[in-house]
Amino acid sequence: MFIRSYKFFLLFFLITSCEKDDICLQGSANTNRITIEFINSEFETTSSLSLNNIRGINKDSIIYEDINTDKLRLPLNASSNRTDYILNYNEIDDTLSIKYKAIHQYLNRGCGFISNFIIDNSTENLVNSSGWIKKISIVKDSIFNEEKTNLYIHF
Amino acid sequence: MKRKRIYIFIFSLSTINFIVGQEIQNEEIDSLDVKEKFINIDKLSIGVDLYKPIYSSTNNDDLSYELITSLRIFKDFSIAAEIGSLDKYIEDENVNFTSTGEYIKFGFDYNLFNNWSGMDNSIYLGMRFATSSFNNKIENYTVRNPDSYWSNNVLNGFETINHSNQNANWFEFLVGIKVETIKNIYFGISLRLNRLISNSSPNNFTNLYIPGFNKVTDDNSWGSGFNYTLTYSLPLKFNKKAPIK
Repeated sequence: MFIRSYKFFLLFFLITSCEKDDICLQGSANTNRITIEFINSEFETTSSLSLNNIRGINKDSIIYEDINTDKLRLPLNASSNRTDYILNYNEIDDTLSIKYKAIHQYLNRGCGFISNFIIDNSTENLVNSSGWIKKISIVKDSIFNEEKTNLYIHF
Repeated sequence: MKRKRIYIFIFSLSTINFIVGQEIQNEEIDSLDVKEKFINIDKLSIGVDLYKPIYSSTNNDDLSYELITSLRIFKDFSIAAEIGSLDKYIEDENVNFTSTGEYIKFGFDYNLFNNWSGMDNSIYLGMRFATSSFNNKIENYTVRNPDSYWSNNVLNGFETINHSNQNANWFEFLVGIKVETIKNIYFGISLRLNRLISNSSPNNFTNLYIPGFNKVTDDNSWGSGFNYTLTYSLPLKFNKKAPIK
């Protein structure tokens, strides 16, 4: 009787000691990119723009070589509070310096942390006089999805 | 505070047994009948877990240890306790963290094994109540990001913080064996199934590991553990003399 019960317990241990895998489900919240639109300052309307050689400062690789878009989405550096991009338009370079607060939000074991961003007012274009960017305006400072436009670049 | 209460509880258990033992002693029983007594405190075991110190020293963690004690009070029934201290660097899927803390477990073991005369091995079932006080310090982590143009590894700042003063309580159901290899020295192993009762929830993190309980899985309050034990048994021989005339 006793022997039988301890065998039962051993079996119980073997069955229950298998752990469920903690996987991050598809469709879980994720880190989002900043969404940028362009405003032609002559007509004050949004328009698409053709940009070349978009790359981050201190990065060797180019993120977009040649892009023609009305909504540009750029990843932000989640382990920093500032991300700088060089944008080339009509053979003229300008630097977009995005400053923000990265807020890391814990989801669960499988997904870990994601990053949300709050864009700071001091976001600017660094090459003022010779650059092609005339002005930058923030329309939505929080990045929690990629649907809404966060930034307007006036050119 | 909680720990002090636990100590008092253990102490009170031992005093009750002592009092009961005294009462029996006062009755006029022939010394030959001593072995027939229901309550028979005859063996104190003290020991250590062999696995934790070896694991911690081979992984460059601070020394982890577990002290084990049990007191046999009936023929097959012992009260038992474990006290441990743990320091462990855990490389999880997304977050690497260091778990440090102390725990205490107390409960009982019940022996199922019928020994031949003169032998003292055991196969036992047991139960423990356990409580742990611990810290989980996040060392570094990877931000979940579909875009990897920038590094998503966070090595300092942000959420790399020490979640201190965490608490957890759980029950353990265990099965184990203990074999007397040299006189009074026993080697053993026990497997444990842990049922979490409470676990504090730090701000913007969860306790993925609890010292003593081990890995905590999402949406599941069961865990598991084991220990390899080396124990020394101290036979308690009470001088039972003939009744006072």
